[in-house]
Amino acid sequence: MVFLKTISFIFVSSFIVAQNSHEIALNIYTKQFPDDLTNTMNMKLVNSKNKIRNYTMKSRSIDKNRKQIIWFLEPKSDRGISFLKIEHKNRDDEMKMWLPAFKKIRRISSRKKGDSFMGSDLSYEDLSTRDMEDYLFNLKEDQNLNGKIYYTLESIPKKKLNSFYNSHVSLVDKITFNIIKEYSYDLNGKLLKEKEYTYKKIKMFDTLEYIKVFNVQNKHSTQIKFTNIEVNKNISEDSFSEQNLKRIPAN
Amino acid sequence: MSYNLLFQKIQKWFIRQSLEHAKRTIFISISLTLLVGYGMRFLIIDDDLMKMLPKNLDSRKSWESIQQEFGSTESIYIAFGNKSKSVFNKKDLETSWDLVKKLRKLNSVNNIINLSTITRIDNVDGFLEIKQLQEEAVLNKTQIESIQDYLNKNLKTKKKLVSKNESFLLTIVNPNTLRGLNYFRDDVVGVCSEVLVDYKIHYSGTAYITGSIPQLIRKDVKFLIQIGLVIMISILFINLRNIAAVLMILMVIVFSLTFMIGSMGWLFRFTGSDKFLFALLNTSMPIILLTIANSDGVHVITKYFKEIRFLKEPKKALVKTMETLHLPIFLTSITTIGAFSTMAFSPLEPLVGYGICISLGIVWAWVLSSVTLPALIILQKWDVESKGLRTVSLFEVLIDRLSNTVLKYPKNMLISGLFIIFISFVGVWSLKVDVNLSSFFKPGSEIRESMDFMDQEMTGTMDLRIRLEADMKDPSILKKVDTLQQFIEKNELITVTNSISDAVKQMHRIVMDDSLVYETIPNEKEKINNLFSMYSLSGTIDNFSTLVNEEYSSGLITSFSQVMSTNQVFSFIEKISFYISSKFDNVSIDITGMIVVIRDMVILIIKSSIMSILLSLLFVILVASLFFKRFIWGLLAVLPLSGAVLLNFGLMGHFGITLNHITAILSSIIIGVGIDFAIHFIAQYRMFQKNNVKKNLTRKTFKETGYPILLDAASNMGFGALLFSSFIPVQFIGGLMVFAMISTSFGTLIILASLMQIIKKYILTN
Repeated sequence: MVFLKTISFIFVSSFIVAQNSHEIALNIYTKQFPDDLTNTMNMKLVNSKNKIRNYTMKSRSIDKNRKQIIWFLEPKSDRGISFLKIEHKNRDDEMKMWLPAFKKIRRISSRKKGDSFMGSDLSYEDLSTRDMEDYLFNLKEDQNLNGKIYYTLESIPKKKLNSFYNSHVSLVDKITFNIIKEYSYDLNGKLLKEKEYTYKKIKMFDTLEYIKVFNVQNKHSTQIKFTNIEVNKNISEDSFSEQNLKRIPAN
Repeated sequence: MSYNLLFQKIQKWFIRQSLEHAKRTIFISISLTLLVGYGMRFLIIDDDLMKMLPKNLDSRKSWESIQQEFGSTESIYIAFGNKSKSVFNKKDLETSWDLVKKLRKLNSVNNIINLSTITRIDNVDGFLEIKQLQEEAVLNKTQIESIQDYLNKNLKTKKKLVSKNESFLLTIVNPNTLRGLNYFRDDVVGVCSEVLVDYKIHYSGTAYITGSIPQLIRKDVKFLIQIGLVIMISILFINLRNIAAVLMILMVIVFSLTFMIGSMGWLFRFTGSDKFLFALLNTSMPIILLTIANSDGVHVITKYFKEIRFLKEPKKALVKTMETLHLPIFLTSITTIGAFSTMAFSPLEPLVGYGICISLGIVWAWVLSSVTLPALIILQKWDVESKGLRTVSLFEVLIDRLSNTVLKYPKNMLISGLFIIFISFVGVWSLKVDVNLSSFFKPGSEIRESMDFMDQEMTGTMDLRIRLEADMKDPSILKKVDTLQQFIEKNELITVTNSISDAVKQMHRIVMDDSLVYETIPNEKEKINNLFSMYSLSGTIDNFSTLVNEEYSSGLITSFSQVMSTNQVFSFIEKISFYISSKFDNVSIDITGMIVVIRDMVILIIKSSIMSILLSLLFVILVASLFFKRFIWGLLAVLPLSGAVLLNFGLMGHFGITLNHITAILSSIIIGVGIDFAIHFIAQYRMFQKNNVKKNLTRKTFKETGYPILLDAASNMGFGALLFSSFIPVQFIGGLMVFAMISTSFGTLIILASLMQIIKKYILTN
């Protein structure tokens, strides 16, 4: 009898934990997202020798960043280069690039998820939108960060995703369900990246204001600061065309 | 107090310690040997060519900055395949994929380059595609053909990773610098033996050779010491015919060896200096100390046997022996130390450690021979009537005959000796300096075979690295880099060159619809900027990390070549340096890589050899003149060994034995070991002179010292053990040292004795 009770207890409690982790994940993944997002990104890359490179880009996106266009503003040598990305569910993503010096638009191949974006510590996998059904979740013991208690959610990519990560451990705000810190582990299970996120409330949406990614293995870091953030400006789907790549929009 | 008086006091103290406190002396000697010998556990075996160069040498500094900026250039090259079968098939490419997968799991591995890790840039129907050359493990026929087509269009890449007849695939693995290269080598070889079961494997590259050498050294040293001891014990036993005597000499040898190796370990532990790493050239150290320690013991035992034969009283015989031998043993030790200490001034790092540690070993051999050996002798009960003590040995009979001939015809003997030296010395003009690692291994040995394979079938493993500090996006710089590469490739031994210019040219072609006309450096900087940005969005910019730094403010040109001779190295570098200075204004350029290291090593070896010969000869002359109180004795002392040094280098030239960082120590060894004979001879001569022996002075000296000299030289045939080394230069050292022992001992007994006989009036009257 005692044995049965114990088994039942373990079963029920594990179900509760599973429910909790799922609920937390659900809260994160179903958070409201603006229809469109415009911002200026200041990307600062710092290598292990503390050498710094800065990029400034203007970005417009719709559909949770699944359609995005980026214009390079700085450094001067890259000004005018632009990049259009359209993510597709069941086929390869579309990527096109405007090379002003050659006056040519070149389609470029869809990237390997593990490759870095512009030499930064953010991989294309980090930049792409995560789908909840691609992950398994485990709720771990709450963690205290700077005096505040957070949920600790482990996300394990399913095999079909062919992820370049073994898992992510995220600290999740218990009220807003924003991920404020995340540890990403490589396929050998070693800590690869530490990511920190800061949000700004714009028109009821928690929009990213700052990201810091530190690659623990190569001691390289990337900081992205989002400014001039605007949401729901009624950007049309037509804006995401080759024609718009050639000209940096005034606003 | 005069140093004579001081010396006598020390001598008396030594004798008292041996005779009156024999057991305590032995106990202290054993304890100290064990204490210092404990340092062996800190000994590190490492034969990194770069670590041998002085830290302030330009090529080493450039090499280090390249390692920091562009990652490790020390690699293991793994070629696998099957002769006469193309590697462009499903199985071989799948194996190549699996190999990378397994190697990636190793902590000691940093970066892997082979067909499955590199990217391809294509223009497919106006679609710019940057993707893995081999996208998955299992490929179909079309995919394999596509890889082949791409490589045939990009021959530089093909040359780097596929053998000439397409039957071998190359994988280049770079280490994580945190662990030693021997661990890295063992890890990589372990994975390869597991994955590449059905293939012929060739390993090469500096990391493999450097990583393999410690194991080879360990095996070699162990083997050589065993052979050396067998040779020595046999010769000693045949002549001394007394087991206890042989064991006592053996104890001096083993204790000295333990002390030397232990002190090397302690010195590395406390200083952390590369000077105290046990490298390939240190392989000869144990055998050399073995013979030096043996010399001291042989002189003590033979003298003791001689004395006991007449005096029949062990204690008196021992006192007499030590009174006669303390000075010559001290002098031979100090002159040998002097000769080896000159290595401390060598610009080559391991020679410094070699000199210091072997000197410490000699000091201990001197202490053991002067104090511990007599203590052991006094504790032993000698059977005065035994054959060994009672009868003269074969060498003593031989010496008797030799002394008659030499002293009967001194002028003829001297002229004949000098003539032989002159004839040999002519060979010096044919002497070549060569430090190429491939010539260190026997033809047919695994390493040599692999190195030859890499040379004949792949790109070769000798590298030249040119680092430029300039704006690497500037078209004029990129064009200059391109023409420099073309200039380098004109050398028929250069197999491939690689730089960021190649990547820019390729990207330009692809962007311009794959038209070969555009495989050029664009004229506008904006275009080059666009190309790099395009790549960073569509390819991993890390792919360029071995070609340019992150800021594009410095770049690296890498060239690979087949084995070059020293002359070819010198002329090649001279041509490139001239080209660079005439074409690149206001651009800071450093040249390094194995090719430059070889050039620098050659220069350092020549400098080191000349300096070592001059300094050690000077030291020996000074010490001998000081202790024998006349300059003429100093000059006479170096006479036989100067002849031996000339003979040695002459013979090296005649027999095509090259001078390298391993054979460069020969002159120090010859002087250090060879001086002993002359000092014993002169010391005995002076002793007879002091005791007013006037008649047949040279003959008596000859008879008194001839036997120990001959026995010493014969037992030093232990050097012959080096002939069994796995390393060719160490074998040469063995052969040349056997010859040097013959030439220095006979030089003493023939040239020195006949000259002293000729000039005896001058010696005695002044």
